[in-house]
Parts: sequence; C-alpha cells; structure tokens
Amino acid sequence: MRRWYSNRLVFLLVSLFFCIGLMLVSQAGVLAPIESLVATPLNVVAGLFTDVALSVSGGINDLATLQRLRERNADLEETLAQFQSEIVELREIASDYQRLAELLDYTTAVTNQDFVTADVIGSDTSAQRRTIIINRGARDGITEGMPVVTGQGLAGRIINVSANAARVLLITDRQSYVSGRLQSTRVEGTVQGQLSGNLRMSLISLGQTITVGDLVVTSGLGGNFPPNLTLGIVTSVYQREAELYQEADITSLINFDTLEFVLVMTSFQPVDFSIFQSETEN
Amino acid sequence: MGNYLSVPILALAVALQSGVIPQFRILGGSPDLVFLVVLAWSVHAPLEAGVTWAIVGGIMQDLLSAAPTGMSAIGIVLVVFLVSRLTEQLYSVGLLLLAGMVAVGTLIQQGVLFVLLWLMGTPVDLISDFTYVILPTMVYNLLFIWPVYWFIRRIQRRYTQDRRFFT
Repeated sequence: MRRWYSNRLVFLLVSLFFCIGLMLVSQAGVLAPIESLVATPLNVVAGLFTDVALSVSGGINDLATLQRLRERNADLEETLAQFQSEIVELREIASDYQRLAELLDYTTAVTNQDFVTADVIGSDTSAQRRTIIINRGARDGITEGMPVVTGQGLAGRIINVSANAARVLLITDRQSYVSGRLQSTRVEGTVQGQLSGNLRMSLISLGQTITVGDLVVTSGLGGNFPPNLTLGIVTSVYQREAELYQEADITSLINFDTLEFVLVMTSFQPVDFSIFQSETEN
Repeated sequence: MGNYLSVPILALAVALQSGVIPQFRILGGSPDLVFLVVLAWSVHAPLEAGVTWAIVGGIMQDLLSAAPTGMSAIGIVLVVFLVSRLTEQLYSVGLLLLAGMVAVGTLIQQGVLFVLLWLMGTPVDLISDFTYVILPTMVYNLLFIWPVYWFIRRIQRRYTQDRRFFT
C-alpha cells in the first residue's frame, strides 16, 4: 500500500516537472519552430470551424436584426438629408486643409502605408489571453511588431509568425500597452488592455481635462505604432485623491468577438530602441 | 487504444475552442472544452491514461494560445490526480459529485494559471480574474460537462479496455 502511494507521488512529480520544463523551454523560444509546425494543422481545422461558426452566427444575427434595420433605415434616411448640407461645408474645409498640408509638406506616418488583408482563423484558447490567429504569415511579408488594424481602428500587433499564419496580440490583452492621446485635447497616456474587454488609459497628468466621449488615438510615442490610429472612446474617468495620475476607461469601436478580416500594415516597421539602451548601459 | 484516441478528440476540442466558442461568447465567459474532455475521460480511466490526456490536451490548447506550451497542462494534471484519487474510493460517480469535480477542478485549473501568469510578470488582478474569467468559466463548465461527459462515456464504453497501472 505504501509503495503504491509512493509510485503515484513519483508519477505526479515527474508529470509536473515535465510540464514545467516544457513551459520554461517554450517560454525561452526554443520550441518556436516545432510549435509553429505542429500548430499548422490545428490552425487549418480551427479556421474551418471559424468559417462555419461565422456563417451560423451571421445568419442568426441577420434574422434578429432585420426588423431593427427597417426602423433604423427610416431614421437614417431622415438624418442623411440633414447631413447632406454639412458634407458640402466639410468638403470645403477638407479642401482648405489639403492645400495647407501641401504647403507645409506635412505628411503623417499613416499615409502611404501598404496593407495585407488577412482572415481571422482562430482565437486564443485561454480565457486569460486576448489573441487571434490570422491566415497570413512570413510568406506574405508579415513580421513581428507590425500593427494590425480594421476600419474601426487599431486591433493589435503581430507577436508570432509562422510560414502561413501569424498571431496578433489584441489591444484588449492585459500585456498590451499602447501610447495614446485624446484627439481633441492632445492629452497623452498609456492605454492597456483589460480582462473585461475594455481598455484603460493611465498615466494621464492630473491637471488635464478628460471628457466622456472623447476619441482616443495612438500618439506614435515609442515607435511601436503609427500615430492617429483610433483606439476607442472615453466612457468614464477616474480621478482619485492621493494619486499622481488620473485614469480613463476606453471602449474600442471594434467588436473583437466577431472579427472576420483585419489589415496588417506591412510597410510600418517598429522603431528599434535597443541600440540606445545598450549605449546607455555601456 | 484510449491514449491514441486522445489526439483526434482533443484536437477537435481545441479547434472548437478556438474557432466556434468565441463566436457565441456570452457575458465574456466561455467553457474550457479541453479541461472538460480530460476530466470526463479521467473519471472512468486509469490514472496514467488521464495524465496522458491531460498533457496532450494542455499542449494542444497552448499551441493555439499565446501562453507558453505546457502551461495549461500543469493545472489539468493536478486535477486528474485529484479526480483519480477520489474516484478510486467510490463505487460510482453521481451527477452531484461530477458537478462538484467540475467546480473545484475549474478553480484549481484557473488558479494555477493565475499564479503562473503572475510569476511570469503578467499584470493580474484577483477580483478582475474571478469576475471575468474564473466565475464565468465555472458556470459554462457546469453547463457543458453534461454533453461532454455523455459523448466521452459513449466512446469509452465502445473503444477502451484499459487496465490500471498502479494496482
């Protein structure tokens, strides 16, 4: 009986040591080529399931929203008529801006970017992480660090690349940090992902004014993302006593649960600061 | 035979977890299919088979996750040992006991992941984790264990004749 328990304890310890060892080796990046190879068939199957699931959920959503869309359509037609006159004015302003920008030879980093369109073929299997897998990889020119966007703004950045797939760390992941600024007041801060799926902007100076509804965009500080990509809208502001900074909750305009397509900014290269760090150390 | 079955069944669970579950996510939570499949298998399987399923499932789950490979397996292996220890002292496993195993097992599995993430430097918050991950996962696991258990039992009865190694 005693020997029986002893055998089990040894078996438990051996199993746990194996898993911990595997985890440490994987964390060091030694297994990356093997992981990429083995994950390929799993990605293919997961991609097939994603297509089917998207079709089913899309069909369900279509039925549910049909009636709502009819009512919205009537409202929107009325609103459209009002906006027509505003569009004329805005076109005039845009034209003025274009001329001034040309005069100042002003170009933002976001213009002249090349994009690769990718399908989302899987999501992270861990509830603790917020990543997606896309069907474009090194063969399509994807490299680590490239920003990933949608029509609604910044979605994340590439963190792992295999030959024909890549993993995107979404901005809603807790390990995602993006330098952001409020579009209206140019107030800057750091935007971090939350488990709730929202974002939190922190390190905002106390004297700055933040208003609910303000649009938050990337600032470009740190060189990891181009400036002026939409991050979300401020939904609440926290200003606690005895704190050196204030914080704001931000909701992204992207519905990350139903992402189907994303754009990878292939022409943007993150700035490598490592050379400055090594010079400082020396 | 049981160990060979682990690869296709767990691959299916991982593909469903990655491809289908996120499309139907309600209130931010989702069931942990790999955990449920391994737990359902280990209830009526010898310890060494349960551990094999736990390691295979954990590795497959991490291959489609940003987590390092092997991280998910640690918690599942611990749960399998506890399940095995418990079931060997009982004549049969009732529904209430199975639900209890799922609830406690989810706490252990998610708790181990929480500690490992914290050790690796991920910014974690216990209240936030409990609200948005552990509690919803436990509720979904308690709902999904029944179809998973039914499916796994049918396969076990049909294809396996495992003997216990530690007799």
